[in-house]
Amino acid sequence: MRAWLGRQRGARAGARARSVSYATSPLLASKTPPWRSKLLVAFVGIGFIVLLARAVHIQVLDSGFYLAEADKRILRNEKLPASRGRIVDRNGQVLATSVLAPSFRAEPKAFQADRQQRRQLARLLGLSPAELEERLAENPNWVWLRRHVDETAAQAVRAMNLKGVHEEREYRRKYHEGEAAAHVVGFTGVGDAGQEGVELAFDKELAGRDGRRQVIKDRLGRTVEDIGNSVPPVDGRDVALSIDSKVQFFAYQRIRDAVAEHKAKAGSVVVLDVQTGEVLALANYPSFVPGDRHNLTGAQLRNRALTDTFEPGSTMKPFIAALAMETGRVKPDTVIGTAPGRLTITGSTISDAHPHGDLTVAQVIQKSSNVGTVKMAMQMQPREMHELFAQVGFGQRPQIGFPGAVTGRLRPYKTWKPIEQATMSYGYGLSASLFQIARAYTVFARDGELIPVSILKNEAQAPAPAAGGLMRARAGAAQPVAGVRVMSPETARAVRSMLQMAAGDGGTAPKAQAMGYSVGGKTGTAHKQEGKGYADRKFRAWFVGIAPIAKPRIVVAVMVDEPGGAKYYGGDVAAPVFSQVVQQTLRMLDVPTDLEVRPQIVAKSSVAGVPESN
Amino acid sequence: MTRVYAALLLVALLVSSLYLVGVSYQARRLFGELDAARAEQRKLDAEFKRLDAERQAQATNLRVDKVARDRLGMHPATPAVTQFVVDAGATAAAGGAR
Repeated sequence: MRAWLGRQRGARAGARARSVSYATSPLLASKTPPWRSKLLVAFVGIGFIVLLARAVHIQVLDSGFYLAEADKRILRNEKLPASRGRIVDRNGQVLATSVLAPSFRAEPKAFQADRQQRRQLARLLGLSPAELEERLAENPNWVWLRRHVDETAAQAVRAMNLKGVHEEREYRRKYHEGEAAAHVVGFTGVGDAGQEGVELAFDKELAGRDGRRQVIKDRLGRTVEDIGNSVPPVDGRDVALSIDSKVQFFAYQRIRDAVAEHKAKAGSVVVLDVQTGEVLALANYPSFVPGDRHNLTGAQLRNRALTDTFEPGSTMKPFIAALAMETGRVKPDTVIGTAPGRLTITGSTISDAHPHGDLTVAQVIQKSSNVGTVKMAMQMQPREMHELFAQVGFGQRPQIGFPGAVTGRLRPYKTWKPIEQATMSYGYGLSASLFQIARAYTVFARDGELIPVSILKNEAQAPAPAAGGLMRARAGAAQPVAGVRVMSPETARAVRSMLQMAAGDGGTAPKAQAMGYSVGGKTGTAHKQEGKGYADRKFRAWFVGIAPIAKPRIVVAVMVDEPGGAKYYGGDVAAPVFSQVVQQTLRMLDVPTDLEVRPQIVAKSSVAGVPESN
Repeated sequence: MTRVYAALLLVALLVSSLYLVGVSYQARRLFGELDAARAEQRKLDAEFKRLDAERQAQATNLRVDKVARDRLGMHPATPAVTQFVVDAGATAAAGGAR
């Protein structure tokens, strides 16, 4: 019933709509309720408020996220690599420098190359084709193909222009003096951080700081704008060593030849300038090539002159003589009876290699008599001896700012037994490095003063105010450095003349004599310690000396480890090296000769004139 | 009158805006050039350092010694084959100073 009525009404309304025009439509006449329009306005208003609130939220309250997203798309952080400082010798000769060595990496999923290109790439990078494939398979996104490629190969790789191969700017260290200065200069790891030697000791100064900058890049990767906050790179500072590369090279060559000649295991040479306290050379053999990463392991890396200690043996005797003279117990010509070449102290016997009769103090040093030295030492208090040993640097780490420098061993005097005091007087029962012994000898060279030694060049001008503690240049240090007085100049001079006798005819090391220069020095030969006792057929031979005697300029210490030939005495093995090193070093330092040399110059002018006139 | 002013300002605004666009384009282009020049400078610096290092590598003591001995037949000088000369001027000056 109701449904029928509804249909009836609808049919009627449709019929009317067809006949009624729009203007007269009764629908328009009917009043719309006012809340409708208000509601609509309110909805639109709310809509706008929501949009506004969202806009405020995005633009003001939570703007960071979107700003960051925007920056991600246009801003690029660029690293500005700083190069590591150079290491130069005292004359500015470069010992270590950084050169650009590009590294290549690949993005394997983007890598495209045909078989022949792959083979060529592998060849240029010094890989076998199988190795190249292996590397590409490691990670689909990012693999190193080869680091530190040399420039010519890098150019060829660049020219191939392969997809998915990228170049990274990296630096590599180059060591010009190679193995000759390897122990001093040291080397760096792949990350360019110092790992040994000066590279490690002065890493902070050398390193430099990488800079960075932020730039806006366009679609094509071109930089279009620099955003202000860039940090410029700070290149590492150069470090000037006290080493003279010529002296260093010569010393290395000599010790290398000596080690080979005497079938020894190893050897070291230290050359000190006694006026400035600078280390002119510090050479060790066996050595290594610092640029070649394959062999940077093992015993050859050890800077033996600084890290290996041994009992200084006879080289200690001059200190005992000096102390005895300094305290007025003896004079250089005081006679000491050393017959019959044996002496027993609390049950232990001390003997000389060759028995001597009565010797003066000077002769005791010249002939290196154990008995004579012990007789002088036993007049002293252990405290006196200990004080002198400590004053000249035994049992103390040398202040040289070098990694691995050892302290050696010097026991407190209260624990010394009489026999130990006796053996210590001729250098057993304490230990020191070759470097410490060389430095101790500066006492004699400097008329009784012990001078501080330095591996850095002493410059009159401080290089820069930013210098760190180690880089501090002593003011006016081009002049002789000030030392600490240990003994009187007279005593030091007396000992020097004894040392000259020891290196002269009738001494223990006549082979130490250098042509044209007066030298003085003391040999040492010792059985090597093995475990608790001394090895039977293993020796260590060394020689420490001063030249020229009248006005000392250098102290040279030479040590040869385990000479395996028939000769093993310091006077036969180490002294010839000393002689050659002294002669060359003094010549390079322009020190005038102080001995008459029979000239071997043949006057040729008149002879040469004759053939020319023909 | 106001309309004339408004029109003038509008024109001025348009001109200045277009000029700004032009200038900023030019600035970017110049910056790009500057940046490329700087990169070139860095590259040349590195190249110089490399070549310098290579030059020094040719003059190391090891090589000089080898060449002097093998190719030139030289040997280290000793005092025996050295003719020492006395600089008369220097001695006189030293004497005068004394």
